[in-house]
Order: sequence, then C-alpha cells, then structure tokens
Amino acid sequence: MQAKHQPRKQNLWQAFLEKSFNITIPVVAILAAFAISGLLILGWGSNPIAAYKAIFQGAFGSPNAIATTLTRMTPLVFTGLAVAYGYKAGFFNVGAEGQLYMGALAATWVGVTFTNWPGWLLVIACFLAASLAGAFLALIPAYLKAKRGFNEVLTTLLFNYIVMQFFAWSLRIDHPMAGVDEKWGLVNWFGIKDPTQPYPKSAFVAEQSWLPSVNSFLKTGFINSIFGGTHWYQASLAEPALERITLAPLLAVLGVIIVFVLMFKTTIGFRARAVGVSPDAARAMGINVSKTILVTALISGTLAGLAGAMEILGTQHRVMERFLVDAGFTGIPVALIGQLHPVGAWLSAFFFGALRAGANRMQITTAVPVAMVYVIQALTILFAIAGTTIELVSYFKKSRMTSLSERAEEERLSLENNEVLDA
Amino acid sequence: MTELLRLEKICKTFPGVVANDHVDLEIKKGEIHALLGENGAGKTTLMNCVYGVYRPNSGKIFWKGQEVEIHQARDAIALGIGMVHQHFMLVPPLTVAENVILGLPTRHEPFLDLASVEEKIFESGQKFHLKVDPKARIWQLPVGIQQRVEILKALYRDAELLILDEPTAVLTPQEVEELFLVLEALTEHGLSIIFITHKLEEVMRSCNRVSVLRDGRRVDTLAIEDTNPQLLAKMMVGREVLLKADKTDLPPGEVVLSVKELSAIGGRGLPAVKNVSFEVRRNEIFGIAGVDGNGQTELGETISGLLRATGGKVTISGKDATNKTPFDILNMGVAVIPPDRQKLGLLMNFAVDENLIAKSYWKPPFSKSIFLRKKEIDKFSEKAIKDFNIRTPGPEIQVKLLSGGNQQKVVIARELSKNPDLLIASQPTRGLDVSATEYVHKQLLAAREAGAAILFISTELEEILSLSDRIGVIYEGEIMGILPGKGANILEIGEMMAGLRRSNTGSEQPKKEAENASEASA
Repeated sequence: MQAKHQPRKQNLWQAFLEKSFNITIPVVAILAAFAISGLLILGWGSNPIAAYKAIFQGAFGSPNAIATTLTRMTPLVFTGLAVAYGYKAGFFNVGAEGQLYMGALAATWVGVTFTNWPGWLLVIACFLAASLAGAFLALIPAYLKAKRGFNEVLTTLLFNYIVMQFFAWSLRIDHPMAGVDEKWGLVNWFGIKDPTQPYPKSAFVAEQSWLPSVNSFLKTGFINSIFGGTHWYQASLAEPALERITLAPLLAVLGVIIVFVLMFKTTIGFRARAVGVSPDAARAMGINVSKTILVTALISGTLAGLAGAMEILGTQHRVMERFLVDAGFTGIPVALIGQLHPVGAWLSAFFFGALRAGANRMQITTAVPVAMVYVIQALTILFAIAGTTIELVSYFKKSRMTSLSERAEEERLSLENNEVLDA
Repeated sequence: MTELLRLEKICKTFPGVVANDHVDLEIKKGEIHALLGENGAGKTTLMNCVYGVYRPNSGKIFWKGQEVEIHQARDAIALGIGMVHQHFMLVPPLTVAENVILGLPTRHEPFLDLASVEEKIFESGQKFHLKVDPKARIWQLPVGIQQRVEILKALYRDAELLILDEPTAVLTPQEVEELFLVLEALTEHGLSIIFITHKLEEVMRSCNRVSVLRDGRRVDTLAIEDTNPQLLAKMMVGREVLLKADKTDLPPGEVVLSVKELSAIGGRGLPAVKNVSFEVRRNEIFGIAGVDGNGQTELGETISGLLRATGGKVTISGKDATNKTPFDILNMGVAVIPPDRQKLGLLMNFAVDENLIAKSYWKPPFSKSIFLRKKEIDKFSEKAIKDFNIRTPGPEIQVKLLSGGNQQKVVIARELSKNPDLLIASQPTRGLDVSATEYVHKQLLAAREAGAAILFISTELEEILSLSDRIGVIYEGEIMGILPGKGANILEIGEMMAGLRRSNTGSEQPKKEAENASEASA
C-alpha cells in the first residue's frame, strides 16, 4: 500500500516545490548577490560586513532612514505592480518609465493649475489625471498588439523615448500661472515650467494636494484629544521623520491588495491570466483576447501612471528633469524578482528601496561607492533570472513527472483490476 | 540471428517510484522488436537508459556481447544506437541535409560540404524507401516526412539499432504503412529496430518479437507467431479489454446541429472545408471518419467559431451560428473537446479547478459582478473531480502536472458537466492509453444518453465504428458520403477515406484528387 500512495505524494511535493520556488529563488538570488558583491568590496579594500551594516543602518537604522526607504520604494511598488500585472497577462510593459513620467506630468499639471480646489478633490483629480495619462500611453501599444500583432516590448519601449522628449520640452514651456502677467497661448497649456523661475522645473503643486504625513495625522484634533497628554505623543510630534512619511506607502499597500484581488479573485484577472498562459486556449474558451489585452494595458498603464503621481504628491511636489531615476525601468526587475506576484513585487520593491536608501551611508562610512548597490541590484536580477532556469530544468524533466502521474493512474487501474479479479 | 543488445536486470528509480524493475531484454540482429505497454509502463524510460538519457541505478547493458557503459547519448550514438523521439529533434528553418549533419564534422572543415551529404541522403532514400528532398526545409515538410529525416539522421550516424518511440502516434494511416515499408527495408539490411508502442495491431502487423512491459516490469517476450492481440492486451493491462463499446438503442431526437454547404479556409491558406452539409440530432453520435489532415479539425473549429466560414451556414438549435464568436457559440449550449488539449483545451499553467470553470467563471454561481466566488468554485470542482474520477492530489494542482489521461478528464468534466445540447468532440482520445480511451468512450455514450447531439471527429476508424450512430466520411475537406453506423462496411468507408468513391456527386474527378493525395504524401 505504501508504494501506491507515493506517486501522489510525489505530485504534491512537486507542486509544493514549484510554489516554494517563488520564495527561495529571490531569497537565494539576494544572498548570492550580497556574497559576490562582498568579494568585490573586499577587492576594493573595504570590509563587506561593515559596508552591509552601513546599508542596513542607512535603510532602517533611524526613523529618518526608514522614511527614506519608504519614500524610495513607493514608486517602485507601483511600477512593479504595473509590470507584474501586464506580464501575467502576456503584455510585457517595458513602457512603465514613460507612463510614470506622463503620470507625474499629468498630476503636476492638475496640481499647479487648479490651485483653488479643495485638497481632497485636487488629490483625486491628480490621481485620476495620472492614471489616464499612464493608461492612454499603454493603450496605444496594446491596440497595436491586439489588432495588428505588433510586439508590445518594442512599442512600449520606444514610447519611453517619445515621452522623455515631450517631458523635456514641456519642462521648458511656461505653464500659465495666476498672478503672472503674460499672454498665454495654447502651447503654454502643454508646458509645465514655473514661469517665475528660469530653470526647467515646474512650480510646486498646490499645497493642499500634498499627501498628508503621519505628522499631520497626529496633529488632527481627534488624535490630539486622545493622546495629547502622553509623552509618546509629544516625542512623535517632534520627530522630523514622521513629516516625511506620507500616505503614499499606505496607498502602495492598498495598491498591492487591489492588484492581488484583481489578479486572482476577479473575472478580469482570470481572463488576463488565461490570455497570459495561452492566448490560443483562452480564445478557444470564449475569452475575447484583444479586449483582454486592452484592459490589461489600461490597468498596467494606470498603475505606472500612479507611480508618478505618488512621487509628486507624496515626495517631490513638482517635476524637474530626472526627478525620479529609472523607477519605471526598475519596475521590471521588481516584478520579476517578485515572481510576478503583487506581494512579491512589494517585497522586492522594499528590498530595492532599502538598498537605495542605504547607499549613501555606505559611501560615507565605508568609502564603498554608491554604485555598489547597483552592482548588488544587477546581480540580484541576474541570479533571479538564473533561478527561473531552475524552473525550466524542472519543466524539461516534466516528461518524467508525467510518467510519474501516469504511474499513479496505472496503480489505480491495477488496483481496480485486482478488485475485478477478486469479484 | 545473433544477439545485438542485451539488458540485464535494469533498474531505474525516480524519487518514490520504480520506473524499471529488473528488466531483462534481448534484441537480435535484424529483428523488429516491439516494446509494448501502456503509457507510463516504463518503455520510454528503459530506452532512455539504453540511449544514455538516463543512467540505470543498477543492471548491465551488453552491446554485441560486450558489457558497455552508456553515460550520455553521444556514447550510444558512437556504439551505433539511434533513437527517434516522439517529439522530433529537428531545427525547422534548416534544410533536411543541414539537420542530418548537425553536430557532425564535414569532410572539408570548416566549410560545409552539403553536396556529399545530400548525395548520401539520396542513396539512403533509394535503399530504404526513405525518399526525402535533402534541400527541403523542415518546416515545409509534413510530420511523416520529418520522421524520415530523424531516421536518416540516425542512419547517417551509422546506427545499427534504431529505437522508435511511438513512431505512429503522429502519423496518418498512409504514413504508417510507408513507415512499415521503411522498417522492413532497414531490417533487410541488417538493422535492428525497437518499436515502442501501445497499439496492438501495429505489433501484430510488423514486428518479429514483442516484449510486454507493465508497471516497470517485463511481463514476457514472445514471438509474434505465438501470440494474438487479445493475449497481448491482457498482458499489457492485466485484464480483458473492452474492444466494443456497449451502446443502447436510442431513437434520434430533433436536429440540434445543422451544417449547410459549409466552407472554410485552413491554416495554410488553402480551402480546408468544402461544401460540407450534414445534420446531427439529439441522442445521436455523428462520427466524422477520415485520414488525419483532411479538414476534419478545421470543420470542428469552424463550427465552434475558431475558424471563419467562407461560405455556407451553421445552425445550432435553430439559431444561426455562422461566424459567431467562440463565446456566443459556447452560450448556445455547445461543448467542445478540442483536438489538442494542451494547446486549446487546457490552460496548462492553471490549476485543475481554474480549468474546470474556465468556460463558466463569468456567470453565477462562480462569480458575482466581477468577483470570483471561491466557495462555489471549490464545491463545483470537488464534485467534478469526484464525478469524473480525475486523479489529482488536489484541485489546486497545476493541470500540467497531471497525466495525459487525467488532463483529458479535466476537459471532459468541464465540457460535459454543463449538460450540453451539442458536443463537438475532436480527436478526444488522441494520445491516450487504452483505459483512458475507454473512459472517454463511456463519457461520450453517457452524454448521448443524456440527450446531447455529438459530433465525433476521430482518425481512429475503430472507435468511429464502435460509437457512431451515423458516419460521415471526409476526404480533402468534402463529405464523401454518410452511412449508418450499424453494420457499416469498413471496406466502403476505407474507399471513401481514400477518395475513391463518393455517393452523391460522381461528376467531379475523384481519381485526380486521389492522385494529388498520393503526390502530396510522396
């Protein structure tokens, strides 16, 4: 009897292994990246342990460090989600960078234009504008893919460059501003530059659109009335880091939850994943593949656009050139290391955010250059991708697996036969 | 005849499973030796041990009386063992000659010397009935010819023993005949052949000896003269096989599917379905018989909305279903078992439960507005797994981890659990072993009794004959005639399948078409 149950166990074991790969691959990749980078740091003449300690200190060592980590990771969460959702549905969105910039531009545009709107309305309007901008940008490649069979990797990638040029141009065109006496033409409405300044920067978005910080939350009358007298409360109010931690990281968590539900618990996600697994099979099952690609792109683009809005409303409050370096492109490794899972994307965004937050401290205290964290990042990506080939290997051994499960079937048959013979 | 290869007590275990259990096997020079067994009996594993893909845990391999160690395929090839896998190892954009010399040095390194290779291929072709155009590119060739290229590859490497892993699974009956001619020619020149199969007729037809494997053990080795199909079947599955399906007499009900003068263009841009007309009624299995590649797949796809009809009309339950989307047709009460379950029938990376609801996830009770309802899905899939006897460790296991038979059960459970009015079953038993095939047949008959109209497309004439109430024979996209299933004359059907006879219109030139067919296959 023992032997008869083994194949089924084997199957469960295989399934478990495949699932656990989702965690072990990134973890091993990160450890391996740190190990190799450690050798590089040794070669540089520094102590890798000290360097990593400095990164850790810089990322988590103080409230301020934690605030920096959270700030750095937030846009990465959204671009990671954007790439992961698209990828799951077979739409490899390499255009998150451009969509993020367009989203930031749109949010800023709304934020510097409707300066007299109430805060809640302005925030919603900014997010909406950013979503639409990102979604629109992703929709064009999606349409070309769905209707004309264009490869979306090329089109989304190339759109980035178009957006970058437009962004740079827009930064140099004065945006109409109340109180500035000038004749505004139509072209000015496409510009974002602060007309009172000579630099290619926008004005700050209206202050009421800035995402509230923990500090401002503590200052609300309600909290004050409950905790007002406590020592803890006073200490928190005095902590400058709490002014830097805004609603944005919380919205990122909300984003993870929404994308998770969307991906796994809704018919929209079901269709998207089905198309991602096999467009042919999805079509045969009655799924409208073109429509699914379009919807996927809308969602992916929306998320990337929101990444830009989060950075503007939460952290920088205005756009300038290179206001956010590579957050869109980094969304790709964030999604891949996160195994295309929303929670995984959050975790890997957290890792990337922490690395970047700790980089400066490492350079200051151990003289290891900031660039080393990019080495660590790159190695992690490399190992994580290498890790997926482990999955491939097990895929190649599938013939073996199939024979195993077929054996299970056979065992059952022979069992049944015995029963027949016994009868 | 002298011994060429001998296996002694070969054991091969995978974690938790014994795939080969002390298998002895002896291959003589110049014989065709069948290795018979159900899917998963350990045939392929054993041969992979011989070919160096796996290393046996214990046991010895003797080649021409000498004990040898085969660590990798290269060792096996050096000894003179060639293997043609079920899935060909060819590079589609390259030519036949290029594929044949792939990995080998040529005479004038580093320059290619394709001319001499082409000549050698031509010579082999003459000698062994393996006619192939050496300059043709692989992707242009039909599967049967690609298989010849694989054989040529092995011959070019001076193989003395050729292992063919289920060579007929991908072939049309005509191509099977041609393959047998090739094998005979090869053995006449002293080659030995190991022929892995689970088809009894082929063993009886073409082999000298047969070894039956079951559960990784060798049951026996027999000379063909000393055995018969019933005995082999019993050895293979360990019981008597039901060769004829039990079918109750049911009067056909109203017309569910009506196809009138339907035409469609196939994947290669050529007309695949030409002017096809027939009707299928409730409680009726309408079988489409025909040699693979004669438009039967396209016929099924056109009716199920995957392929555009270029002419004619499809009516389902009185409603026009011509060129509707697959979704619309699905909602007309139509179930489809597609010919390629891994490509069209299943989402291989999806879990079993997700595959079970893949055509109904969007409607109650499985979802409410856009949200899927896990509880209802669980309830349904647990019931389906039980009702349809799907062997899976759980509903959340990826369907790609199941065996072929169980994968097909998932498809059948999904399609039949909604009690369809019309079932389009296209090659539903392709690649399945005896017991899984039997299971599919039972399900089709159950659906028939439940009142479904069934369009049953198969290239296995035997199952068409045993299941169908009426049989339409398709040849080059045209229905050559429709016969009652009961007492159908196999010879008559065979002639129609070969395009020799058509009952309705004799005016077009069937003879010419037959010639075209033989040209195409040559």
